[in-house]
Amino acid sequence: MFLKNRVEKTVVTGIMFIGGLIVSLPFFWMILSSLKNENEVLSIPPTLIPNEPTFEHYINLFQNLNFDVYLINTLIIVFFSMIGLFLNTMAGYGFGKFQFKGKETWFIIVLITMMLPGQVTMIPTYLILNEMGLTNSMSGIVLPGLIAAFNIFLIRQFMVTIPDDLIEAARLDGAGEFYIFTKLIIPLAKPILAVQVILTFIGSWNSFLWPLIIANDQSLYTLSVGLALLKDQNVTNYGLQMAGSTFMVVPVLIIFIIFQKYIIEGFNVSGIK
Amino acid sequence: MSTMKKKWTPFLFIGPAVLLLIIFSFLPIIVAFGISFTDTNLIGLANWTQINFVGFDNYLELFSDQKFMQSMANTFVYVIIGVPLAVGSSFFIAFFINLVGQKLASTFRVIYYIPSVTNIVAIAVVWGFLYNQEYGLFNYLLSLVDIGRVPWLEDPFVAKLSLILMAVWKSNGISMLIFLAALQSIPRVYYEAADIDGANRWQKLIKITLPSMSFATFFVTVTTLIGWLQFFEEPFVMTDGGPLNGTNSIALFIYQEGFQYNEFGYGAAASFILFAIIIVATLIQFKFRKSDQTL
Amino acid sequence: MRKIKILVFVSFLFVIITLSACTSGDSSGDGQSDENTIQVWTMSDGLDDFVTDFEEESGITVDVQSIPWESAHDKLLTAVASGEGPDVLQIGTTWVAEFAEADTFMDISKYIDDYENLAPDNFYESAVGTTEFDGQTIGVPWYVDTRALFYRTDILEEVGYPNGPETWEDMIDASRKLADRGDDQYAIDLPTTDPQFPFILAWEQGWTYDIDKGADSFNSSDFKEAIELHHLFYDEGLSQMGEGKEFFQAFSDGSKAMFFSGPWDIGTVKDRAPEIEGKWDVKVMPTAENNKSMMGGAHLSVFANSEKVEQSLKFINWMAAPDTQAKWYETKSELPANKEAWENPVLADDDMVSTFGEQLEATQPLPLIPEYERLGNEILTTLEEINRGGAEIDQSLEAFRAEAAKILSE
Repeated sequence: MFLKNRVEKTVVTGIMFIGGLIVSLPFFWMILSSLKNENEVLSIPPTLIPNEPTFEHYINLFQNLNFDVYLINTLIIVFFSMIGLFLNTMAGYGFGKFQFKGKETWFIIVLITMMLPGQVTMIPTYLILNEMGLTNSMSGIVLPGLIAAFNIFLIRQFMVTIPDDLIEAARLDGAGEFYIFTKLIIPLAKPILAVQVILTFIGSWNSFLWPLIIANDQSLYTLSVGLALLKDQNVTNYGLQMAGSTFMVVPVLIIFIIFQKYIIEGFNVSGIK
Repeated sequence: MSTMKKKWTPFLFIGPAVLLLIIFSFLPIIVAFGISFTDTNLIGLANWTQINFVGFDNYLELFSDQKFMQSMANTFVYVIIGVPLAVGSSFFIAFFINLVGQKLASTFRVIYYIPSVTNIVAIAVVWGFLYNQEYGLFNYLLSLVDIGRVPWLEDPFVAKLSLILMAVWKSNGISMLIFLAALQSIPRVYYEAADIDGANRWQKLIKITLPSMSFATFFVTVTTLIGWLQFFEEPFVMTDGGPLNGTNSIALFIYQEGFQYNEFGYGAAASFILFAIIIVATLIQFKFRKSDQTL
Repeated sequence: MRKIKILVFVSFLFVIITLSACTSGDSSGDGQSDENTIQVWTMSDGLDDFVTDFEEESGITVDVQSIPWESAHDKLLTAVASGEGPDVLQIGTTWVAEFAEADTFMDISKYIDDYENLAPDNFYESAVGTTEFDGQTIGVPWYVDTRALFYRTDILEEVGYPNGPETWEDMIDASRKLADRGDDQYAIDLPTTDPQFPFILAWEQGWTYDIDKGADSFNSSDFKEAIELHHLFYDEGLSQMGEGKEFFQAFSDGSKAMFFSGPWDIGTVKDRAPEIEGKWDVKVMPTAENNKSMMGGAHLSVFANSEKVEQSLKFINWMAAPDTQAKWYETKSELPANKEAWENPVLADDDMVSTFGEQLEATQPLPLIPEYERLGNEILTTLEEINRGGAEIDQSLEAFRAEAAKILSE
């Protein structure tokens, strides 16, 4: 619609292609390096394609990682984080589409929680969890990260794209508030929810700090913590790290590829207006 | 609908999230704020009776701490250059992806998102090679056009720019997704109407696309600004604040001085100075943006 | 109206799930109630499998929790803050002072005579030095670590030092010749991020840190000599200022023929540079006034709030035995703190490792002040200002002493 002719389109595509190649190079280097021996990973000038491909790092990874336990824990955290995402979405809708007393104050409180570096609140948060008796439990691991101001803020911003008339019309039809939210708002907010699902998945899939701090037992560790255990104090085994990162990124890419199509499968609001 | 019910409905929506946020995020901030007025260290942490109230001493000390002042100055450089660059580039990537055909667009979305999911160690190794003064790719390419070795990470000022470039590269993915979702939500009829009025494409970009996306631009700008004010990971893995403290950021300072050395009171005070800067910057943005919504 | 009820229901359901999950977590999670289970925190992955022999012998179950090094400090902080921790924990020597000051460890001095392997005489003197804090015994040495000189025998032979430099004078002479080989040729990479390294240089000049004198300790000509020595390597281009080539490549192609490092790099050189096998060796530190290196490593301590002191000490006693420590060396290549373990052929028959054993005899225990690492980092910063920023040595030292005094007074 913006580009007038084929030539322009080819130029834009070409630029995008070259740019894409440059930005994604480290990623491909990471994957290819997971197949290199330790010598080759850091050699200068670097090689892109491994000279003698080896699977030793992957074998090492799966032999040393308590894989099944960590995977289950990670998936539990992912599951709860999706419930958290639902609560975030509810709150974002509440802030975006309702007028109520104290709204500004509450929203400022939400925003304030993104303004301090996490390390500053780590110990106070731990002490609160400890007082509640939640240490060494899955709930203690899940709860601190369940709600994210970033997500609430993002949903709230996107609520402006949903016309108020639509909600009013539904109310006049006698629809309940929760019904409106699940049956009308959520489908309309699909593009941004797809973004949220991707971000939430990545965050919870990689969760590291709270599983480590809350757990007093390795049976509560996640994959990220397990991978960190394979790091030596003095010697960094780069090939192994690349293999671990590659392994961790595969599910992320799968989720991304599945959900990214909803980002553009946007609902055309104009049809209703 | 009873008015009673109407009054409570919004709280049922925001309630669960806000409650959890207050307990696990807001309360700890209040505690940390209290800590910033004390001399809490490891001994105090173990035995709370050993904690002394010191008033504004930590804050005053910070303003006479050379390293902290330099970290602040560095952070301002990061923000002033980094934020416009990060917001602008992610917008243009999203905009261009939206222009190419459906099939290509989905490939490009994946490709341009990839830096966000690349492991930080891999990033550090690859960029470390690109920036290597003697053997790096950048200096090799520059030598082909007869430009001497650039001290990418060896000079305090150049190193800041190098880290900005790297951080922009890494951060584009998420903002791009948000812009893409926003571009998608612009009603097609607006463009159709503009076509009928004979508007050219720049007019459409400036009169329709940009205003219709202001809610997303606002979000991206605010969160990007907060992110850059808390700039941490890049200097942490690439330079550890060096050379000569030239790439140290406030967040890295807080980590090094406050938490590596257990000076929790001092670290908390530094983070509330950072907090004050962030809140001022955020409020300014809330004030100056188009009044399409109330707070 | 019904829909609102659903909404309320969903939110409360969530809270209920959470609460029930936590109660079940509490009852099954930690085995505090079990008399014969002790919990051990370690940063060495692999201890879990290693302790099975002990479990069979003693009937005590050892519940090992491995913690990644990068996050161990955070994890320990939470234990200190809440007073809830394991029974036994591994503690690196540089962390002893800060955590001991906060009463993290139990004083085990009165139990030492009750166990055969805990006597201080069994261990390297410098290792024991960091287990004694404020008249208390806060731990038992587990493994040790030190720094020595790695060098290319073939290249050093070309400049007249086939067996490596004996003294710092030799070192400087050899380095000048190595750097003269041409562009991009250097002698040595000095560690730029290891906060212990400046102390090693200073100890070798005869300097020691005096806790009673505090920052005034740095007001000595020996300390200044160490700084000047360090500066010389950068001033004359014997060491490279920038990052340069990946180090092991540089060691392999000879452009950097020497480096100081710990025992783990024996394995690294073998892995990364197999092509130079037989062309490199390890040597004890060069001598100035002496050739003292650092004493690092880790101890095992009993957590202050542990109720299972006897079981914990039994475990530590087993870990301190010469055989166990030799076996641990075979498992993880970490050097035994117990001197008798070094008679074991796996260590005694390995020349390079034995060199580290020899270096361990000449070590200086680090001063047990919580600010130790911080001071080391300050010295590194000062050195960077001198070497890179071109600052005057005297002025920089003056500024450093002021900074040190401030740090120590906090």
